[in-house]
Amino acid sequence: MAEPDSKFRVVILGGGTAGWMTAAALAHRLPRDRYGIVLIESDEIGIVGVGEATLPHIKQFNDMLGLDEAEFMRATRATFKLGIEFCDWTRPGDRYIHPFGAFGEPWGGVQFQHHWLRLMQSGRDPAPFQACSLAVAAARANAFALPDEDPNSIRSTYSYAYHFDSGLYAPFLRDWSMARGVARVEGRMAAAERDPESGAILALTMQSGERIAGDFFVDCSGFRSLLLGEALGVGWEDWRHWLPCDRALAVPCDHGGDGLTPYTRATARPAGWQWRIPLQHRIGNGYIFSSDFISQDEASKTLLANLDGAPQAEPRLLRFTPGRRTAAWAGNCVAVGLASGFLEPLESTSIFLIQAAVIDLIDLMPSPDDRTIDPRLADEFNRLTTMHYERIRDFLILHYIANQRAGEPLWDYLRAMPLPDSLAHKMALFEARATAPEYQFGLFSRDSWLSVLFGQGLSPQGYDPLADTFDLDQVATQCADFQRRVDAAVAVMPSQQDFIAGYCAAAESVAA
Amino acid sequence: MSGSPRHVVVVGRDADLWLTATALRSALGPAGVAVAAIELPSRLSPASVHATLPAIESLHARLGIDEATLLRATSGSFSLGTNIVPATGTPFFLAHGAYGAPIDGSDFFGFWLKARRFGLTAQLEDFSPTAMAARHGRILLPDEDTESFGRTDYAYHLPAIPYAALLKSHASRLGVAIHQAVDVAVERDSESGHIRAVSPDGRSGVTGDVFIDASGPDALLIGHALNVGREDWRAFFPFDRRLTGRGKKFASVPGYAELRLSPASWTALYAGQAATPVVRAYNGNQEDDQAAVAAAITESGTALTDVAITPVEPSIRDQAWSGNCVAIGAAACAFDPLFDLDLHGIQLGIVHLLSLFPTTAGADTERAEYNRITRSSFERLRDFQSAVYLLSGLSAAAPDSLLHKIETFRARGTVAPMEDETFTTDQWRALFVGLGLMPDSWPPAIDTTPPERMKDGFRKILGFVGSKVREQPTHDAYLADIGAAR
Repeated sequence: MAEPDSKFRVVILGGGTAGWMTAAALAHRLPRDRYGIVLIESDEIGIVGVGEATLPHIKQFNDMLGLDEAEFMRATRATFKLGIEFCDWTRPGDRYIHPFGAFGEPWGGVQFQHHWLRLMQSGRDPAPFQACSLAVAAARANAFALPDEDPNSIRSTYSYAYHFDSGLYAPFLRDWSMARGVARVEGRMAAAERDPESGAILALTMQSGERIAGDFFVDCSGFRSLLLGEALGVGWEDWRHWLPCDRALAVPCDHGGDGLTPYTRATARPAGWQWRIPLQHRIGNGYIFSSDFISQDEASKTLLANLDGAPQAEPRLLRFTPGRRTAAWAGNCVAVGLASGFLEPLESTSIFLIQAAVIDLIDLMPSPDDRTIDPRLADEFNRLTTMHYERIRDFLILHYIANQRAGEPLWDYLRAMPLPDSLAHKMALFEARATAPEYQFGLFSRDSWLSVLFGQGLSPQGYDPLADTFDLDQVATQCADFQRRVDAAVAVMPSQQDFIAGYCAAAESVAA
Repeated sequence: MSGSPRHVVVVGRDADLWLTATALRSALGPAGVAVAAIELPSRLSPASVHATLPAIESLHARLGIDEATLLRATSGSFSLGTNIVPATGTPFFLAHGAYGAPIDGSDFFGFWLKARRFGLTAQLEDFSPTAMAARHGRILLPDEDTESFGRTDYAYHLPAIPYAALLKSHASRLGVAIHQAVDVAVERDSESGHIRAVSPDGRSGVTGDVFIDASGPDALLIGHALNVGREDWRAFFPFDRRLTGRGKKFASVPGYAELRLSPASWTALYAGQAATPVVRAYNGNQEDDQAAVAAAITESGTALTDVAITPVEPSIRDQAWSGNCVAIGAAACAFDPLFDLDLHGIQLGIVHLLSLFPTTAGADTERAEYNRITRSSFERLRDFQSAVYLLSGLSAAAPDSLLHKIETFRARGTVAPMEDETFTTDQWRALFVGLGLMPDSWPPAIDTTPPERMKDGFRKILGFVGSKVREQPTHDAYLADIGAAR
């Protein structure tokens, strides 16, 4: 058994969602007799979280830790989430949902969208594409039930995520982590001490004068990226020309309006978009905008004029630059969360990016005997991080470029901007033949792409010719039958409100 | 052409031609697509064999070719993988199946690495039911137990002449129009440059909307007629000659291939029911034909008949699909002969063409996607081959994507995940480890599992492998069972 002081010391700087997710996962997965984990945070520094919308992957993360779902949901005032609704993105009045679930079923090895398009183009008038998804139908009905594990059941065709208060998730994980040996140091960092020869970070000096030495440092300091960005000077790849929003105003409000919708809403606004995230006890709201196109005052007015209930605070301003660090791991420092990059929360990817980084980090964590840190591990980590960021980036841009909001300067700019080649190719392929991107690693799935490609009004000229080999009447019957099964399944689902009341309601009553 | 293509013309020979024509007609015939085949003279000999990959089973299923029929018609046999015999060092088995199963919820391989460091003598292959079945002269029939254990795939050794004949009769039955030709002339549209017709031996042209070049390395359409260039891969592959011959059959037919690496060549034995086809790759500048034949006999340990020597020029077409011409098989990517990947290359071409079969005359985006995805898939296959040459010292150069994979593996035992892979993570690991690439570390997360639980996991897996293998029929008995024995 190794002596305590021979442990490989991992120092995490920053105690927000990124910091505590990292701490919890490392504490859970790494052998405690070989790794010591210290997290530095200051009660004086606020965290960015304002009400977080997540993707279904978060459930795997919580399951890995062995968290009890109901307990976690009670502690974070969480609600269920079946997808994201996009309002007014193509033009005012239009809306669609990106569901966490499948559209239709593949028949005879041909993907559903091809059968559906064939029905459309043959004048068979099938139900709208959006309607061919149990997750969408349930979301529209404000209903929720846990998915069925039987793969033959239509109730197995969706998954779910959560809306939760990230201001509560981090403390929840903090308690969990500290009970499992993570040491917490309160205070602010003053400086990073580096080895003059290797450039490696040796220790962090606190404002109190305390020196926290480490073998490996995880930068979870948020936008400022105190270690990777400031101390190590790793550069920034700026994606503002593709994603021009650079500010957000966030404000919680009382419940009202549409109530506990089992989906996040993203509503397009003249200079950006507004999020709506219903939690058990309040609704998180924010206006993400481009400072080139609107003043902060005006953005604030727009936000406050579009709330479901009374605001619970003054809108809080966040500044950011979309893009990423050119390397997320340099030397003996890896950045997780906002310190490694920022993509606006349009598709709720912030926590996913944290989770992906943490999982990759566990796999590629330096061995406890390797105090010099193997650069080959960093190379692979950086390759994976780049893949994650670029794939999500393309998906986000897609929402912006296919808009019909003529006459609004931001949206006019977005329609005309040059695209990454990787995205232009994906769109062309969909428009030609309804083929949607499909890859093995990283976000997003084919069904997710389909929801946004169709949702943003892209209209395929053709479909897979193999669809023509099926009997049209039979396909029409199958499609109608699928629809009936969706309706029947949704009809017996409880409302999200009732489901939460019986499953995971926080001590305070759920908003009516 | 206007609208969706209705007429497809496939020009080529042997499996390239018949697998493509059959698959296109079978899938698209019901949508009204007519397929014509222009058949060039066969280049197969009685020594020719396809050592397939497991994926071929799904294509056969799509074509309605069932396994027993296939093996009866071709005198084919099963293959559970390849026994690789390095020039120096221990032989190892590259199996079409899983190595180990998770212990304590974590991936097996890290535990094996750790245990080896602490003195475990068991080889990686000892944990693979597929490899062990092969070593014991048996096959491995998947059942519920093996399904829950992991992958237990298998492939075939298919004598190429009867296989092509089977596919041709299938094509004919499906209504593929067959034209024979010794030579073809290509007629192109002067404006678009598209192919309008292909004339067999000066007879009137066979017109079509889409033309498939399945003419192998000759690349009569994509190369000769359309002048689409190639990217040379010879820097990664040291051998420029491939010798094929027909060796004597083994008394009991091994259910796997054997690859024997030498300091300046390799020799592969693809055991079959009628004979043992042998392939040898070497450098023609260092050995003349006579010396090569003599060496092939020595290295394979069998007398050889039907010997043929052909040049090898590994390369990939700059665009597999250009204009209205789609190259499939060696016309698109000429693989090094290692692991006999040609048939799989054909299958990838067919599968991607079917999922991107053009809906309109232009097909620009389908073309771009087809070229992107087939190139990516071919490069991953190339990397797998290149690993053998690099790690056994036969070549000093390798593609960057492989070098990254090797460095990541050397550091942590992780196979860097890449899109469009054919070979599984387990196969990459078995190959790397077998060729002497031992990782410097294992994922530290597995150290949370107590040593007793790890040892218990090993015992359970070894016990499972042993009992599963003992349940299996021998390869010979199983071939007789399904009526496929000669």
